[in-house]
Amino acid sequence: MQEKSTTKLKKGLELALFFLLLIVLWQVLYLLFVDVFKVWKPYSAPSPAGVWSTFVNLLKSGVLLSALLKSLGRGGAGFALSVFAGLILGVLIHHFPYLNRNLKPVIMGMQTLPSICWVPFAILWFGLNNSAILFVVVMGSAFSVALAVDDGIKSVPPLYIKAAKTMGAGQRDLYLKVILPACVPSFIAALKQGWSFAWRALMSGEVMSSTVGLGQTLIIGRDMADINQVMLVMLVIIAAGVLIDKCIFTALENRVLRKRGLM
Amino acid sequence: MLELKHVGKTYPHTVKRTLKDINLTIEEGEFICIVGPSGCGKTTLLNLVAGLEEPTKGEIFLDGVPVKGPGADRVVMFQEAALYPWLNVMDNVMLGMEFLGIPKEERKSRALKYLKMVHLSQFTEYPIHQLSGGMRQRVALARALSMDSKILLMDEPFSALDKQTTNMLRGELEQIWMKDHSKTILFVTHSAEEAVYFADRIVVLSENPGQIKEIIPCDLKRPRQIDDEAFVHLRHMLLESVKKEVVKFAREEYDEA
Ligand SMILES: Nc1ncnc2c1ncn2[C@@H]1O[C@H](COP(=O)(O)OP(=O)(O)OP(=O)(O)O)[C@@H](O)[C@H]1O
Ligand SMILES: [Mg+2]
Repeated sequence: MQEKSTTKLKKGLELALFFLLLIVLWQVLYLLFVDVFKVWKPYSAPSPAGVWSTFVNLLKSGVLLSALLKSLGRGGAGFALSVFAGLILGVLIHHFPYLNRNLKPVIMGMQTLPSICWVPFAILWFGLNNSAILFVVVMGSAFSVALAVDDGIKSVPPLYIKAAKTMGAGQRDLYLKVILPACVPSFIAALKQGWSFAWRALMSGEVMSSTVGLGQTLIIGRDMADINQVMLVMLVIIAAGVLIDKCIFTALENRVLRKRGLM
Repeated sequence: MLELKHVGKTYPHTVKRTLKDINLTIEEGEFICIVGPSGCGKTTLLNLVAGLEEPTKGEIFLDGVPVKGPGADRVVMFQEAALYPWLNVMDNVMLGMEFLGIPKEERKSRALKYLKMVHLSQFTEYPIHQLSGGMRQRVALARALSMDSKILLMDEPFSALDKQTTNMLRGELEQIWMKDHSKTILFVTHSAEEAVYFADRIVVLSENPGQIKEIIPCDLKRPRQIDDEAFVHLRHMLLESVKKEVVKFAREEYDEA
């Protein structure tokens, strides 16, 4: 136990040092190209100090926090909707051979479409509001969830099902007590993938519309020619996406895999 | 009564027949051992009786009714343990009984009883992945026995166990079977000793395609002693029979090459 926590600390320290190195490198580049060689204009290159002071300002005024919370709330809602839709769609295309043959290729095609392509439709159908963004999020991630669910059910080892059948499991027991629990790891993988698609789609939607959120804060930065604000919001988007993935989905995944001896 | 009539099996997408013209009638309460070279179709035969595979020729009748699909009256103990990694040892054993609709209290006490029998009562809370191969096999054995099915299909159930454990479990299984003589057991094994120890009749399969080479009746008095003269003689006979089969097949392979 003791050893484990020290290696964890070591890894954390290593990562922190790496980030510090990146920031130093960034500062050096900024100094070289903006101040010494003057090839970059100060208004087109963000600096660590500038981003930091923007961060402090936006934090003090409360703009950053409210934008982040709004985005997270919206992302969560959109994600929940797409998981719901994706689960149903996934089970349907798994269960009915007709849909598996015909609808699945369509879904695979839809999944390759970048979510930003849905923005024009969203605005035409819903206007420049919350529903439009939710629509973009759902279109951006539900298909990937559906495909992952289909894949997950397909990869249940046949022996699990055979064993249950010879022990007299009915259809209901088979699905609830064998197939469903067997699918849990792939469902979590599906959630994880769905979240990353949803978060990206959310930003495409927010950038285009005019409701409070990280996307809008980024666009305001652009409109005010404040490259530091643009950079700051980008960093926040990355951090929030990664943190949610690590703290919720990866943590959940690790727990399940460890319990089953798969890692 | 279990009847196999002209049963043949060819797997889809394969050209060669796996089983050919199997005729076998098994009385209730009989202990049948199936031996034969690896790949001759022993597991396939069990799967057909279990209803997991359909014969491509012939039919299988259970008390006069054609076998259609798997059911809890023919519990299988698979060659691989087939346990569920999301459940611990206890819950794995209880799941089968849950499918049968047995109330929770009884599930628990029965599971404990059989886990004790296979010497795993200290491991009830263990996740499956922390067990050795032999321990897994014993959990699967406990699960299969706890279901108390009329017919028990066992595919090399003791293959991963050491000599001592095997001897002990043999005794336990024989006792369970002898208790009321109503359980029919089909038992696949590679061990001639095991076959002679258990069987009322030994079915020797030959391979390519798998068919019944001979059926050796085995009516030594129970419990059987493996160093008994009659036992040794029978075991020897069986070994010869299987060996001829393997040699013949090896020669065929050689000639073709
Ligand atoms: N699902 C399948 N599809 C196609 N061929 C199969 C399938 N299962 C088994 N076979 C073939 O059928 C033959 C018999 O296989 P089976 O598993 O019944 O052998 P076995 O007697 O149980 O062998 P072992 O003693 O090694 O377990 C083999 O040649 C194998 O290749
Ligand atoms: Mg086999």
